Amino acid sequence: MTDIVETIVNCDGVSVFYGENRAINNISIDIGKQSITAFIGPSGCGKSTFLRTINRMNDTIEGCRIEGRVTVDGQDIYDASVDVVPLRAKVGMVFQKPNPFPKTIYENVAYGPRIHGLARNKSQLDDIVEKALTGAGLWAEVRDRLQDSGTSLSGGQQQRLCIARTIAVEPQIILMDEPCSALDPIATSKIEALMSELSNEYTIIIVTHSMQQAARVSQKTAYFHLGNLIEYGDTKEIFVRPKDPQTEAYISGKIG
Amino acid sequence: MLTIISVSVIFLGLLFYVVGTTKITRICDAAGIRPHSLFMYHGSFPAILAVAPPLVLLSLWVVADDIVFNMMLEARFPEGLEVEGRQTILILLAQIRNIAEGIIVGQPDDWIIGLADTLSNWRNTSDTIIAGITVGLSVICGLFGISRVKPEFRARNAVEALLLTGLGICSLIAIITTIGIVFSVIFESIRFFKLVPPLEFLTGTVWNPEFEGAARAGSGQEGMSAYGSIPLFVGTFLISIIALSVSVPVGLFSAIYLSEYASKRVRGTVKPLLEILAGVPTVVYGFFAALSVAPFFRETGGMFGLDVASESALAAGFVMGIMIIPFVSSLSDDVISAVPQSLRDAAFGLGSTKSEAIKKVVLPAALPGIVASIILAVSRAVGETMIVVMAAGLAANLSLNPLDAVTTVTAQIVTILVGDQEFESAKTLSAFALALTLIFITLVLNFFALQIVKKYREQYD
Repeated sequence: MTDIVETIVNCDGVSVFYGENRAINNISIDIGKQSITAFIGPSGCGKSTFLRTINRMNDTIEGCRIEGRVTVDGQDIYDASVDVVPLRAKVGMVFQKPNPFPKTIYENVAYGPRIHGLARNKSQLDDIVEKALTGAGLWAEVRDRLQDSGTSLSGGQQQRLCIARTIAVEPQIILMDEPCSALDPIATSKIEALMSELSNEYTIIIVTHSMQQAARVSQKTAYFHLGNLIEYGDTKEIFVRPKDPQTEAYISGKIG
Repeated sequence: MLTIISVSVIFLGLLFYVVGTTKITRICDAAGIRPHSLFMYHGSFPAILAVAPPLVLLSLWVVADDIVFNMMLEARFPEGLEVEGRQTILILLAQIRNIAEGIIVGQPDDWIIGLADTLSNWRNTSDTIIAGITVGLSVICGLFGISRVKPEFRARNAVEALLLTGLGICSLIAIITTIGIVFSVIFESIRFFKLVPPLEFLTGTVWNPEFEGAARAGSGQEGMSAYGSIPLFVGTFLISIIALSVSVPVGLFSAIYLSEYASKRVRGTVKPLLEILAGVPTVVYGFFAALSVAPFFRETGGMFGLDVASESALAAGFVMGIMIIPFVSSLSDDVISAVPQSLRDAAFGLGSTKSEAIKKVVLPAALPGIVASIILAVSRAVGETMIVVMAAGLAANLSLNPLDAVTTVTAQIVTILVGDQEFESAKTLSAFALALTLIFITLVLNFFALQIVKKYREQYD
């Protein structure tokens, strides 16, 4: 198991409840900086729920309760003193279905910098937008049509727009919740290439249904089953020599 | 008579249903095959044929018989009868009709009584004829339907085609009614515009139909244009603006609260309660405005040294605004709730606060729908009558001061048409010209509302 160079997210005994139901059961995990970590597991295993605890997106769900400790950059994010606004600027999120705002491409990317006051004037904002779109590998395709609606783009472009929108606020961590499940193979491969590139600068945690995708892009893989973290380790190890029989069964296609 | 005919036609329909299903069952049982369609359809096809055309014919006759009889009666008016204008003929015809139904007032002329007898005879004959034709048509159509019933007959497709036609006709009825209303108003308006020039009507600033005779007879008030509709439209505009400035903020903010902040329980209780407001009859709002709100405004105004009319635009507009709140809040709540959760997630995921997400993402996305709901509220405010009649007065003042008494187009139409009126007078006809203008305005508003709604539908995906 390659050592984690520097831990950025640390979870200690995390459980998540929806009302009476326990969706996540006492999970502890360390996630390393500037790497790609994949969460895999069958549907309903709690991997998305767990992902959403890292930027407190579960707060928006009524009746959701969290136990345990999650630290990002050494800060307990469920501490009463923590404001979710800067937290979510630091821990960005890309969703399963591309969800650009029904605004122009420019406004989609400029939204985050605007609400966080990252640009002092128009030209700074222009720079941020260009940088973010370039970072998401979309600049060349949209530079001449920044005023078109974000929803006019193709599915893959929309998802890259969402990534651009996320990196425009310069987060440290990007959470991706099955970012390719609504995309065709070509768009998927573009997003995967983009992820590898982004991992030089950002920490990426990706939830995926596709084991091939996890194997292709991630350095670390965590296998979830029924709200439990079954196995966590180097991706190569997990796919070649899974330690746990449940992981092996999933990876070899016996459950899923 | 009509009832008997209708019931027998429907009975025939049931009969043909039974005959149809029996026939197909027997054929199929004998041959040991399955028909193309369910047995039900083989019964429904002749049944529908036996019921629908005769009933359509019957209703057409109900509409047409008076027209036909009037024409026939008119042709039999005695030679040399002096009639002045269409109106007199209509009165004579009405008199004949009344006598035929046994209502005799005064001493009618002999020829009128004679024609009334003729009319009764015609009616009896026509009833018999129409009964025969209807039932005959029913039997013929039903038999035709039965003759088509065979195992290979595509009865389901045929029945569905017939139902489709029925659905189409139903939707046509709404359209035809609208066209009918518009045309009836247009024809009366044309008569009005023969008496009063359209330009005067559309640009005049004095509305005073009571003095019409005096002004036109040249009693030294020649300059006074009695049929200028501007004060009425300004009054309508003023009251609508007041109503909207109450209903739009209150309705929109309560919609935002209900859809974004309120818990499910609060929403489930408050939303129906708000919608009850829409169910209160406008007359009730009217006396609430006249008896509670208007005096309150007058006294409050008095305390600040303002001269508030006891029937003020403010009181009427305010109460009308309250009446419209549920229209704005309910529709806006629907469109705000229809904004996909994924957009909210995206906003929150970027670190928006709840209010930023609402202001910058949810409301802009819902804006077309919200605008449409406001435009519907405008049509509602423009068309509202009762509150104005009761609370804003009938004085056609040209004023933009909300503390004055003003009147609106609809309130004037009501006062013009209430009570005994000469039908030929410009005063009475002016109601139609006002109605036409109002219809035009609300149609334009609705058109824009629909356009915006259409655009809204194309918003996502």
